[in-house]
Amino acid sequence: MIATREANATPAARVATAALLLAIAGCGPAPIDPSRQVGADPYLPAIHQYLLPPMHVAKVVGWNGATPSAAAGLKVQPFATGLANPRSLYVLPNGDVLVVETGGPPAPVSRPKELVMNWVEKMAHSRTKPGQRILLFRDLNGDGVPDQSSVFLDHLHSPFGVVLVDNDLYVADTDALLRFPYTTGATQITAAGVKLCDLPGGPIDHHWTKSLTASPDGTFLYAGVGSNSNITENGMQAEVGRASIWQIERATGAHREFATGLRNPNGLQFEPQTHTLWAVVNERDELGPDLVPDYLTSVRDGAFYGWPYSYYGQHIDPRVRPQRPDLVAKAIVPDYALSSHVAPLGLVFYTGTNLPAHYRGGAFVGEHGSWDRSVLNGYKIVYVPFSDGRPAGPAEDVVTGFLIDGDKARGRPVGLAVDGQGALLIADDTGNSVWRVSNASGT
Amino acid sequence: MAMPTINTRYINPRSRVSVRGHPLHALLVPIPISCFFATLVTDIVYWRTAAMLWADISAWLLVIGLSFSLFAVAAGLIDFLADGRIRELRAAWIHAFGNIAVIVLSIVNAMIHTRDAYTSVVPAGLILSAVVVVMLAVTVWNGSSLVYRHGVGVREQEAP
Repeated sequence: MIATREANATPAARVATAALLLAIAGCGPAPIDPSRQVGADPYLPAIHQYLLPPMHVAKVVGWNGATPSAAAGLKVQPFATGLANPRSLYVLPNGDVLVVETGGPPAPVSRPKELVMNWVEKMAHSRTKPGQRILLFRDLNGDGVPDQSSVFLDHLHSPFGVVLVDNDLYVADTDALLRFPYTTGATQITAAGVKLCDLPGGPIDHHWTKSLTASPDGTFLYAGVGSNSNITENGMQAEVGRASIWQIERATGAHREFATGLRNPNGLQFEPQTHTLWAVVNERDELGPDLVPDYLTSVRDGAFYGWPYSYYGQHIDPRVRPQRPDLVAKAIVPDYALSSHVAPLGLVFYTGTNLPAHYRGGAFVGEHGSWDRSVLNGYKIVYVPFSDGRPAGPAEDVVTGFLIDGDKARGRPVGLAVDGQGALLIADDTGNSVWRVSNASGT
Repeated sequence: MAMPTINTRYINPRSRVSVRGHPLHALLVPIPISCFFATLVTDIVYWRTAAMLWADISAWLLVIGLSFSLFAVAAGLIDFLADGRIRELRAAWIHAFGNIAVIVLSIVNAMIHTRDAYTSVVPAGLILSAVVVVMLAVTVWNGSSLVYRHGVGVREQEAP
């Protein structure tokens, strides 16, 4: 009897709860069409501050044999499946593909809000316990399907960025930049890593992914160090050395902040034509469904990009104290908006020849997808055409199908790479897979 | 001296929800009262220092105060409904409705305190915290009238 009554009461109670939460949280503005915020001059609405933090995560349903959909002229096939939270990719010169299985350190709880937020964030991710290692996949016959795999490097600490310079393989753990000896063709590294320098890590470590790349001449390494909060709510002392891109001298480990005010910079890459550094940046939350647009930008030496004091130049964030008008005056506008809350985490410039000519010279961006917007945004790979080393034209959807029915996630794309044949590889942390996108009429 | 006549007018209104004669409502209310008062203090310190620790403490105080106030409300409401003599007291109505308003405002205040950094306190959170303390002064005064003037929940004295 009781069970029946509860079963009857539950939908009504659910509707009542949902209605109440919508009444409280939903009194914000309706989301706009994200295309208004793609490109050099995004529409920026007025700030809306909520009574309750907006949270709308896609329910994780997995792929169950399905694959993502690709734009015309492209095909998608699984490259690796059954992984444990693959988040970033790196292709070695001999074509071996490194897949970084990783997860962040546990988030501390300093406010009652974080009890709820941590739980919601857990719901948005795969239930698989993340690996803390790098796997190697080798395709022997060039058919785009790996024939061998091995554990390449194990026992890492929330690794993310990987880059090879000569015979030095660098891995960015969340709290240290490590160097390992690499010989061409190696399938495993057992040597202990040598620490080149510390990176800002715990105990808070809010944005923990440390993206990594090397200057074209190999003299410097560049590491993306995300902020330790959404908008300084863990105190300014927690932000020392963060929200910046570090330039690290490879020979000595000496480092400095190359550019600052970048809330969570990822996907560090040198643009092949102009040899300038580019990154995708996750902007701040809780100012409304359409603030603040995440972006793709070139990164200038010494430049300040606004966080936390302002966004898109001189738009002041009222949540930051003390304010710094002197820094706001210097803040520069990023190059190319990707629209709000898409969470870009992967970036790769395409210089291969496998994909149709349309995709040459531009940038692919992996958008992990929103968790705080009533209409989900992101959850796809877009292509931003470039001309003379600058974005030239609207972003196009290239790989989709990560979302179904508007609010269920089969997977979520993160890191990108181009393999030895010129196909695009996509790390899917929630689908625990790596996808390979190639020319529909080839391998 | 003659025994007093058994007349309900001379018997104190009773508390139904009590532990060995100690009304549960009176045992619980110091916690939310202290928490909401302390929230005003930590909000003011945050407003003056912008040191996040104080805003974090405010957020915890509001959640702890609200959690205990649920039990205090339940105990108080049962006492209020169970004895008609309590409901005849004007102070009881001011106390009850005043405290419901305190709780509603504190729920909104706790939501505002979920924002990040400065606007989680200034200005809306700080104003609500101050309004709640002013309202508490009125409701606590009326609540103590119920006990110290009207003897609600006070055990009868044996005649000397």
